[in-house]
Amino acid sequence: MTARIRNRTGQFFRMRRFKTQVKSVTDTSSTILGEAVARATPAPIASRIRGLSDRSMAWLFITPAIALLLAVNIFPLIWAIYLSFTNFRANRPNAALESVGLSNYSRVLNDPNIWQAMQTTAHFVFWTILLQTLIGFSLAYLIDRKFRGHAFWTTIILVPMMLSPAVVGNFWRFLYQPQIGLFNHIVSFLTGIPPSSFEMLGSVRLSPWAIIIVDTWMWTPYVMLICLAGLRSIPDYIYEAAEVDRASLWRQFWSITLPMALPFIMLAVLFRGIENFKMFDMVTLLTGGGPGSTTEVASITLKREAFESWRTGRASAFAIILFVAVFGLANIYVKALNKVKQR
Amino acid sequence: MSSTAHSVVEPSVTSKRVAATIVVAYAVITMIPLVWIVLTSFKSPPDSISYPPKIVFQPTLEGYCNLFTTRTRQTPEYIISLGAPTSTCDEITRSRNMVIAGPSNYWPRFQNSLVIAFGSTFLAVSLGTLAAYGFSRFKVPLAEDLLFFILSTRMMPPIAVAIPIYLMYRQLGLSDTALGMILLYTAVNVSLAVWLLKGFIDEIPREYEEAAMIDGYTRMQAFFKVVLPQATTGIAATAIFCLIFAWNEYAFAVLLTSGAAQTAPPFIPTIIGEGGQDWPAVAAGTTIFVVPILVFTILLRKQLLRGITFGAVRK
Amino acid sequence: MTAQPPVPSKQKRPFFLRRGPMENIATGLIGLGFLMLFQPFLLIFYTWSLVTLLAGTVMFIIVSKFPE
Repeated sequence: MTARIRNRTGQFFRMRRFKTQVKSVTDTSSTILGEAVARATPAPIASRIRGLSDRSMAWLFITPAIALLLAVNIFPLIWAIYLSFTNFRANRPNAALESVGLSNYSRVLNDPNIWQAMQTTAHFVFWTILLQTLIGFSLAYLIDRKFRGHAFWTTIILVPMMLSPAVVGNFWRFLYQPQIGLFNHIVSFLTGIPPSSFEMLGSVRLSPWAIIIVDTWMWTPYVMLICLAGLRSIPDYIYEAAEVDRASLWRQFWSITLPMALPFIMLAVLFRGIENFKMFDMVTLLTGGGPGSTTEVASITLKREAFESWRTGRASAFAIILFVAVFGLANIYVKALNKVKQR
Repeated sequence: MSSTAHSVVEPSVTSKRVAATIVVAYAVITMIPLVWIVLTSFKSPPDSISYPPKIVFQPTLEGYCNLFTTRTRQTPEYIISLGAPTSTCDEITRSRNMVIAGPSNYWPRFQNSLVIAFGSTFLAVSLGTLAAYGFSRFKVPLAEDLLFFILSTRMMPPIAVAIPIYLMYRQLGLSDTALGMILLYTAVNVSLAVWLLKGFIDEIPREYEEAAMIDGYTRMQAFFKVVLPQATTGIAATAIFCLIFAWNEYAFAVLLTSGAAQTAPPFIPTIIGEGGQDWPAVAAGTTIFVVPILVFTILLRKQLLRGITFGAVRK
Repeated sequence: MTAQPPVPSKQKRPFFLRRGPMENIATGLIGLGFLMLFQPFLLIFYTWSLVTLLAGTVMFIIVSKFPE
């Protein structure tokens, strides 16, 4: 019986929907069984079904995962909070540990260099999200025309987001080489500017855009995929009704398509926002924060503070600030996730 | 084909054509960097840095040879005295007045990547399946908060927790060990696994287990013999997502490993030849590293959406 | 789904005890925190961004326990 039903996932969905309402709705054999449990289970079997009490069973299943997270994620986090109130330096572990109160925080929050890094991050986050949302949504809108072969081309478009950001950063460094790189030659081919007249990674003006281009290349598919799901979640009958009312395509787009896809767009924007706010790997390999500190996003500043200046206490305070920001966004993200789930 | 289909919302033929043209153009443009890397891996070092870049060139395996070997420069007399070359790589190396000195570090790093990625995936999926089943089938107190807590651990900036983990691992002797990296990646992946698998297990009707338990199975037996077989697809998809994350991860790897347990992503950028970066070798290393991901993308394409939204969007 | 019977006399909770509006305020506070963190104009805003973010986040966690 199970094998037969396993192949019919459609039935799964149907049953899942009904399950939450009443257990005996449909006429499938399993529901009859379910009903039998409720109706005719003698007491000894009922207690065997429970075995251990439900609550202890639940903990048995959940504890290993929670324990690992506590040990490898939460414990270090608490340690970081502790360190952020001290003058600890990881390269001098034997020096006397002193509590310095909030001074690490006030230093980080008054440091013009770290403030500058925040603005670099802001520039990066703002433009990547803007470009990715515009391009990603347009692509999704076009793919939703369901032309022949759209599934194949969608898969092709998705490839960049599956790659390792570090490896991507590294090979784009090759593409951006001023003399030998492909990027400069393509730009020169399209615009007529000599290929060796500009350096994407070496110039203060262009390097912030170099990292934006690579991130957009890599993550537009992500936004596209979620937007596509949003567009596909809009039921046809709404458009049909609009068609009956003779609403123009333009009006349909602004009053049906966009508002109904908006929760999905928000979901993509929030997740990309979180990810790009803590961006480290791709930028490290592409520019390493340079030239100077023009592309030094927050995570790179943090890494320099922690592993090059070895001011561990202050770096921990900075890490906690980043964590609070990400944690706040994560709360909103989960809210958006639940909103989308209801569709 | 006329556009007077059953539905008024079916897009017209013209709009389909325009859409197809733009999407295909985007897809082609987006593939150029990747194709370029694969091409570069088959170029000789002089071809790879020629000005302007060469699109037509004589393909060679030199990049792959350089990737897997270390070489030393020798006098032509010495090279002649060695006799006939024993392999293709040998021949290519000698044509550059060099001899192969030994294997490079790429293969050990690649092996580390394999061990760490598969090890952490196995652990994350095992722990994740158990926890997901617990959340799906039992009334867990504060379930919402626990699930949020689990998800939020994945959102943490890696550098923020890297400092104390670095200190902790130094104390425990776990720094630069495969075990340390496996534990770390398991912790990061377990959150994704729980969220994804909870969705998949929610879709399995609980009546199956209840029926099995009436037949005398215990809860555990029902879990292993009824639920697990039903969840195979979901578990496989989750495993591939975890695998890809562990395979691609860089920040933790570069901060916590330096030699013995270093994975491929921090190693590839450090490949250098004589006088600067050996781009064909880097490209070769990248190509070999990326091919498994391409395969996975194709395998996963139907589950991708679910994976990137933590199971919230099921299409 | 709260399919409450339409009892018009039933008093609504004041907005500061309902989840919806308070969550929006907390979201706004987190957003404001980000603006303060990111803006290039005044250092003093940057300095106080952490407090704003923290307040927004803590508030969000608390009010998400409130009934709808």
